Amino acid sequence: MSNAIECNNLTHYYGKKMVYENLSIHVKDGSILGLLGKNGAGKTTTINILNGFLQPRSGECLIYGENTQHLTPATKARIGFLIEGHIQYSFMNIHQIEKFYSGFYPKWDKEPYWELMSKLKVGKNQKISSMSCGQRSQVALGLILAQDPDLLILDDFSMGLDPGYRRLFIDYLREYAKAKKKTIFTTSHIIQDMERLIDDVLIMDYNRVLAQRNVHDFMHEFKQFYLEVEDPAIDLSAEEFVANFEKVHNKVEIYTYESEEFVKSYLKKKGIAHSNFKEVKMGLEDAFIGLTGKY
Amino acid sequence: MWKSIIYKEWLKIKWFFIIATALEILVAGYIFIKVQHDFKFNEANNYWYLILFMGAPYFTYLKFVPIISALAISVAQYFPETVNKRIKLSFHLPINENKILLTMMLFGTICLLIGYLVLLTIFYGFSTFYFPSDIIIPALTSITPWFLSGFAVYYFVALIVLEPVWKYRFFYIVVAAVFLPLFIESASIGSYAPANPVLFVLVIILSISLLFSGYRFRKGEM
Repeated sequence: MSNAIECNNLTHYYGKKMVYENLSIHVKDGSILGLLGKNGAGKTTTINILNGFLQPRSGECLIYGENTQHLTPATKARIGFLIEGHIQYSFMNIHQIEKFYSGFYPKWDKEPYWELMSKLKVGKNQKISSMSCGQRSQVALGLILAQDPDLLILDDFSMGLDPGYRRLFIDYLREYAKAKKKTIFTTSHIIQDMERLIDDVLIMDYNRVLAQRNVHDFMHEFKQFYLEVEDPAIDLSAEEFVANFEKVHNKVEIYTYESEEFVKSYLKKKGIAHSNFKEVKMGLEDAFIGLTGKY
Repeated sequence: MWKSIIYKEWLKIKWFFIIATALEILVAGYIFIKVQHDFKFNEANNYWYLILFMGAPYFTYLKFVPIISALAISVAQYFPETVNKRIKLSFHLPINENKILLTMMLFGTICLLIGYLVLLTIFYGFSTFYFPSDIIIPALTSITPWFLSGFAVYYFVALIVLEPVWKYRFFYIVVAAVFLPLFIESASIGSYAPANPVLFVLVIILSISLLFSGYRFRKGEM
């Protein structure tokens, strides 16, 4: 399967502050990849590089084989872009904005747009600026669906949306992407939503990639173990098998890719006295925090 | 595609364009009401003498009208593009980014030109009714830099508003503050004749300056 997005050895700094060095990522054609990271980990930087709004210090990103710094109009027509906060031309109403965008895209299909608009309780001449955040998100989504792009780049689509609109957005998006074999590259700071949407996950921490893999494999292999240790001074964070180690008094959380047997035998071998050992079921958000740490 | 860009630009500026053009018509009308009034109280020959030799031009009220119109149209056109960095939407459209900016600039220039032509037509029409060509031609020479200043203001606003880097913005404002007075110096009637071609060339060069701001935005400079 070919890659819709391929970034090779990306390095970027803001002044002297390094965002990342030699970052390489790829998104397979027809897959939905979620880029997760804490604030400042480089999510928006990556989105900006992908859209050609930022020149990396070195390295390159290719979309359908073209360098994102010099995308041709034909390739740009294949990319749907949702700006963080569902930014659109807010001085237009829903009729004007549909008329505006339809002039640019040869595959423009207004049906899905108007289907979504029919669910909104907005006036015919109501400007987008006077709509709620949720309504604006539907306008932005409807426009992308009407554009019928091959690749959708969504920057924090969940921002400002209440749970109902988030669910509506995700369900629509996933059904659309799978039915039409679209590729999606998305970020969101509400990670629990991503679980319903994405196939692959890319987790970034400051300056590095912590995981890039199928989300189900990741959720299956990445584990959290809870235990209460007798000696609260114990610190396992430097151990190779420990991805993250959290401790409050004697209550310990170990995040690891190793099995329960491995961890138990390690504790036994090291003579670490403990009680209440158990594996804790995690959602994607728990796993994300487990991998990146709470701070 | 071009129709769509023009449609978007028109939606942004239509009320500002209509109000600016109405203002231009009103000012032209006011000037000639005043000329009519002065004609009633002076002999035509005396009035012409005052204009030609005493430096009392009848068109002074026009001086800042092109600048005010340009300011209104340019702010209405470019400011919405910078709110929430909305210009990203335009740059993501399947057209070359420079062509988009130049189309926006050309559309604004044409709107400005239409307003100015309406004003000039009224001005010239009424002038031929009251004055000989010895007065009209120097008058047109005198008001030419004022109209050129309108275009210059429009291009400066585009350059400044789209610029993503504050230090460059400040620098452009300083340049504009030095450059723009060249167009509106107080001078005797017709004395701008040798300067007008130079000012015209400078305005033409300035017209494409918004491409610099657009380029810096696309490179992610902050």
